Amino acid sequence: MSDASTPGDVEPSHDHEHHHEGPGYATPQAAIEEGEREELAYVMGLYVGTDVDAPDFVSVVDLDPDSDTYCEIVDRIELPNRGDELHHFGWNACSSSCHMDGLERRHLIVPGQRSSRIHVIDAQDRRNPELETVIEPEEVFEYDLSAPHTVHCIPDGEILISMLGDADGELPGGFLELNEDFEIEGRWEPPGEIEMNYDYWYQPRQNVMVSSEWAAPKTYYPGFDLEDVEEGNYGQRLHFWDWEAGTVEQTIDLGEEGLIPLEVRFLHTPESTHGFVGAALSSNIFHFWRDESAADGDGEYRAEKVIDFESREHDDWDMPVPALPTDILISMDDRYLFGSNWLHGEVWMYDISDPSNPRRADSLSVGGTFGEVQEVQGRELAAGPQMIQLSLDGERLYWTTSLFSSWDDQFYPEESERGSVMLKADVDPRKGTMELDEDFLVDWGECPAGPARAHEIRWPDGDCTSDVWQ
Amino acid sequence: MTSHDVTLEWPDGRTRTVEVDENETILEAAECDGSVLPYGCRTGACGTCSGRLLEVEGTRPPNSERAGDGDADVCAVDDAVAYRRLPRALKDRHRAAGYVLLCIASPRADCRIEVGSSVHSELVDNPWK
Repeated sequence: MSDASTPGDVEPSHDHEHHHEGPGYATPQAAIEEGEREELAYVMGLYVGTDVDAPDFVSVVDLDPDSDTYCEIVDRIELPNRGDELHHFGWNACSSSCHMDGLERRHLIVPGQRSSRIHVIDAQDRRNPELETVIEPEEVFEYDLSAPHTVHCIPDGEILISMLGDADGELPGGFLELNEDFEIEGRWEPPGEIEMNYDYWYQPRQNVMVSSEWAAPKTYYPGFDLEDVEEGNYGQRLHFWDWEAGTVEQTIDLGEEGLIPLEVRFLHTPESTHGFVGAALSSNIFHFWRDESAADGDGEYRAEKVIDFESREHDDWDMPVPALPTDILISMDDRYLFGSNWLHGEVWMYDISDPSNPRRADSLSVGGTFGEVQEVQGRELAAGPQMIQLSLDGERLYWTTSLFSSWDDQFYPEESERGSVMLKADVDPRKGTMELDEDFLVDWGECPAGPARAHEIRWPDGDCTSDVWQ
Repeated sequence: MTSHDVTLEWPDGRTRTVEVDENETILEAAECDGSVLPYGCRTGACGTCSGRLLEVEGTRPPNSERAGDGDADVCAVDDAVAYRRLPRALKDRHRAAGYVLLCIASPRADCRIEVGSSVHSELVDNPWK
């Protein structure tokens, strides 16, 4: 069911009435039951860092198996400038505003990671979105922020963007808030709450936000340098915020086993304080949760390593190859944690019914350094699985292969010559199994201006990595 | 305003000489000339626009070693360009090897610069391979 036709149903939820008159779904379970099969995907497409004389673009991909253009890029929203590095993006409204009559999940907020330019795309016409507004970098730099990353809407129509650096590309980062007219409202938090920043997620019913750490833009922009690891320039901390106050309440240092904590996800159930974060460089997954009995009964968050991916020897590499789990997500029913090991070439699913003890359910060895499948439909895979997205019903997992243009060039240099692909696995949530769909292939190697990279994936009507419930 | 001839050289053998004023960046002049160079942040933080000095008129060439090793030899870079802001994306070893951020660099001498996206990818190697 699309947001445009969502009825104003009323669903009692827990101890308060939940009036559903706005965008999204009343509950995660409603998203599963009422969400229709995804027929389109919006996918970041990029040329930054190459010699292709074209700006980055938002791809509209046809996912309807009954369509004549199935698996094709049916529209490209080209942006006005080159050099953006489109990376992550989000909606102006999601299920966190499902009580807001009149608000629509209509506008995509599309930041340029390198340029710090923020684009607003009107996607009312789902197959033919149009660029509406551009916030230029100089407007962002006025707030001493740069490198926009994660976009979430704040309930009631405002938008919050994690910013990884200051105006010079150094630390500290922070958060930029846009109002519902897509103008910069200001900094969301008092400056100086954190040094490093990356991804974040919030649970408004628990009044908590969690944020993770990559590094200063000047550190990660040029590429991955072990010298920076030795100098402590990469992050290893989680920050737990008072969501209403915008202040950090607790910081957990994950230590060396938690180096470069990237994607961070709370369970979808709004009552839950459990979540997961992938530590990319250490190849670990951490579980975090609020221990109400800690701190003399005041409660505090805990984090514990629960999954450890071993490095693997490869004849052509001098040192064991780390897995580099770069993306994770949680199925809408909170039962499975999915992730991608970009260097090894693996997508995996763990049963997290007991979040303290994830149980490996299944995995696919595809692409990357060790993947058993190295081509699909005769198309060589230039890199490993990276950004993932799951259907609302949990039955189809999709992924693209580009991480970040300069990091791609280091680890998979052929990605710039061949472009990215989008692949899909059919998931059986009941059995906990995945099967590669070899009939599915979307190829950014065949774009008119030249091979392009592809990064984050979003569904038009909500997905497992952007919807939050109040 | 003093200007200098900056010769851009691509890996495929193409070359283009651009006259660049001392108050404009090499990237800005190249854009006005219709030359396509990679760039990202335009603030000196990301390194996407990296070029590598091949020759500076009137000075010895910068160290010919690529990123990583080599004697400190930033004098040639300092003779060739002045920066509007700190070149934060470049480490000392990059500057010593003659790498230049074209988005914030203005010329102070005639020079030849290797350009194109492959220059940026030289800044860091795969540390495990």
